Amino acid sequence: MNLKNIIKKTILVLDNIEGHLCKALLSFFVILLFVQVLMRTVFQSSLAWSEECSRFSFVWFAFLGASYAARLGAHNRVVFQFRFFPPAVGIGFQIFADAIWIVFNSIMTVKSIETIQGMIRYPFNSPAMDVPMHYIYMLFPVTFTLMNIRIIQTNILKYVLKRELKDVDDISSEMEDIKHDMKVEQENQGRSA
Amino acid sequence: MISSVLFGAFGLLLVIGAPIAVALGMAAMAAFISIDKDVTTMVQIAYNSVNSFPVMALPAFILSGALMQGSGISRRLVEIAEVLAGRMAGGLATSTVLACLFFGAISGSGPATTAAVGMLMIPAMVKRGYDSGYASAVTASSGGLGIVIPPSIPMVIYGVTASESITKLFIAGVLPGIVIASGIIGMNYVISRKKGYKSHADDWSFKKVFFKIKEGFWALMAPVVILGGIYSGLFTPTEAAIVSIFYTLFVGIFIYRELKLKSIFKSLDSTTWLSGRVLIILFTAQAFGRLLVQYKIPDAIAAWLLAVTGNVFIIWAIIIIFLIMIGMFMETLATIMLVTPVLLPVMTSLGVDPIHFGVVLVMCCEIGFETPPLGENLFIASGIGKVTIEEISVKALPFSVVEIASVFLVAYIPSLTLWLPKVFGY
Repeated sequence: MNLKNIIKKTILVLDNIEGHLCKALLSFFVILLFVQVLMRTVFQSSLAWSEECSRFSFVWFAFLGASYAARLGAHNRVVFQFRFFPPAVGIGFQIFADAIWIVFNSIMTVKSIETIQGMIRYPFNSPAMDVPMHYIYMLFPVTFTLMNIRIIQTNILKYVLKRELKDVDDISSEMEDIKHDMKVEQENQGRSA
Repeated sequence: MISSVLFGAFGLLLVIGAPIAVALGMAAMAAFISIDKDVTTMVQIAYNSVNSFPVMALPAFILSGALMQGSGISRRLVEIAEVLAGRMAGGLATSTVLACLFFGAISGSGPATTAAVGMLMIPAMVKRGYDSGYASAVTASSGGLGIVIPPSIPMVIYGVTASESITKLFIAGVLPGIVIASGIIGMNYVISRKKGYKSHADDWSFKKVFFKIKEGFWALMAPVVILGGIYSGLFTPTEAAIVSIFYTLFVGIFIYRELKLKSIFKSLDSTTWLSGRVLIILFTAQAFGRLLVQYKIPDAIAAWLLAVTGNVFIIWAIIIIFLIMIGMFMETLATIMLVTPVLLPVMTSLGVDPIHFGVVLVMCCEIGFETPPLGENLFIASGIGKVTIEEISVKALPFSVVEIASVFLVAYIPSLTLWLPKVFGY
C-alpha cells in the first residue's frame, strides 16, 4: 500500500463519514428495537435500558443524517420561482440563503455549547442507563458544525470546481434499479409468450 | 407584531431558495431574538423533537418500504393485483389501481408506489392497446393512494406534529382510501368503455388467480403482519415497522432469495438522508409552531375565518383549496409539518376532530402528487410512459376531479373517518 492510496481512501471515508455513522446507528437501533419487541412478546420481559439506548442512537442518527443530507444537497427548497429569471439570479440567491443557513447553524452551535456547559455544572444522568446527559447533547455542536462544513463544501464543489451534484430526488436515475427489482424485462417476455 | 416577524422572515427565506428547514428555523430564531427570549430554548426543542419513540416509526417505515422492493415482495403484490381485476372494461387499469392499493398497504410513500407499480403496469397497458398518456395518467393518479392507505409516512408525521395517536390515524385512513380508489376505478370504467379498452379476460381463469395468490402468499402476508399487528394492539406503529423490516429480510433472503447485500446497503443509505432532512424540519417546525401557539396566532386566524363565514362547510372548502394549493408547490411532509401547527388549532376551535383534519390534510397532499408543477408522480409516470407531463396532467384531470370530490366527501361526512376507529375502540 502506498501513501497516496491511503490518503485517497481516508478522504473518501471522511467525505461520507456521516453516511457511514448513520447506517451503523440505524442498523443498531433497528436491531435493538427488534430484540426489545421479541423480549416483550415472546419472553414476556422487557429490558429497561434498550428503549433509552435506541432513542439516544436515534437522536444522533437524526442530526447526523441532516448533515449527510446537506452533503448530498438533498434538503428541500422551493425553487420554481427561479425559472422566471436567468440562472445567475437563482445561484446568487441560493448562495446568499446558504450563508444565512450557516449563521443559523453557528448560533445553534454556540447555544448548544452553552447548554452543555450548564449541564456539566449541574449534571444529571439519564434515568435508565445512568449516562450523563451532556454526552448525548454533544451531538448538537458536532452536527451543526459538520453541517456548516458540508454547506461550504457543496457550494465549492458546485460553483468553484463546477462539479455536477447528483439530484437525489430525481428518481429517473433510480429507474434501472427499480426495473431490475421488479423484473420488468422477464415479465414482458412472459406476457407476450 | 411577532406574527409579522415569523411569517415575514419565513416567506422571505423561502422565496430566496433557503431550505424549508432553515426558513422555519431562522424565522423562529428571529422571533425569539425580537422578543428578547433566550435562543437556548431552541436547543431544548431540537432535542425534544426527535427524542421520542413514535418518531422512530419514520425511518423504520422508510427502510421497510425500500427493502420490500429489493426482496421481491413488491413485485408479487403487483402481480396478484394484475390477475384480480380481469373481466371488467379497462380491466388492466383497474388492476393498476388495485396494485397501488395493495402497495399502499406496505409502503408509506406515493412516488415509490407510482414507480414500482408503473414499471410493470404502464408497459402492460400500452401492450393491450391503451393510450400511453392515459395509462400513465391512471398510474400517476392512483400512486398517491400509497399515502392515504395505511401505513402512511405522512400520517406518522402528522401524528407526531399534532400529538395524535398514529394507530388511530392508520385506522381512520382505511375508508377514505377506499372512497378514492373506488372513485378512480369508477371513472376509469366510464372512460374505458367509451374508448373501448377491453378487458384481458382471454387468458383469465380462477386457476391463474389461485396460482398467483399462492406464489405471492408471503408477500400478501406483509400487509397482514404490519396492519394486523397494529390494529390488534399487539404492536405500536414503530414496533410494527421494525417487525416488518425483519419480516422482509427473512422473506427476501430465505424464501424468495432475491434480496442482495447491495440493495440492503442502498436501502439503509436512502433511509438515512431521507430521515435526516425530514427530522430537521420536524425540529424547526416545532420551534415555529410553539411560538405560534404561545402568541395565540391560530386563534386570530380562527377569528378572522369566523368573521368571513360561520358555515363549517364553507370553511372546510376554503381550507381544502388552500391546502391543495400549498401541496402543489411544497414537498408533502414539509407541508404537513408547516400547516399543522397553524391550522389544527383553528379547526379544533371550530369543533373539528384532529383525526378527521389529519386525514383530510393527507388527502389534500395526495392531490399535490399528480398536479404540476411539483407533482412527483407525474414526473415518474412520464419517465416510464415516455409521455410529456402536459399530456399526462390533462389526461389525469378527470381523476383529479374525482379525488377532489372524495376529499370534500370525507371532509363533509366526519363519520367516514371517525366511525372505524370507534369500532376498534379508539
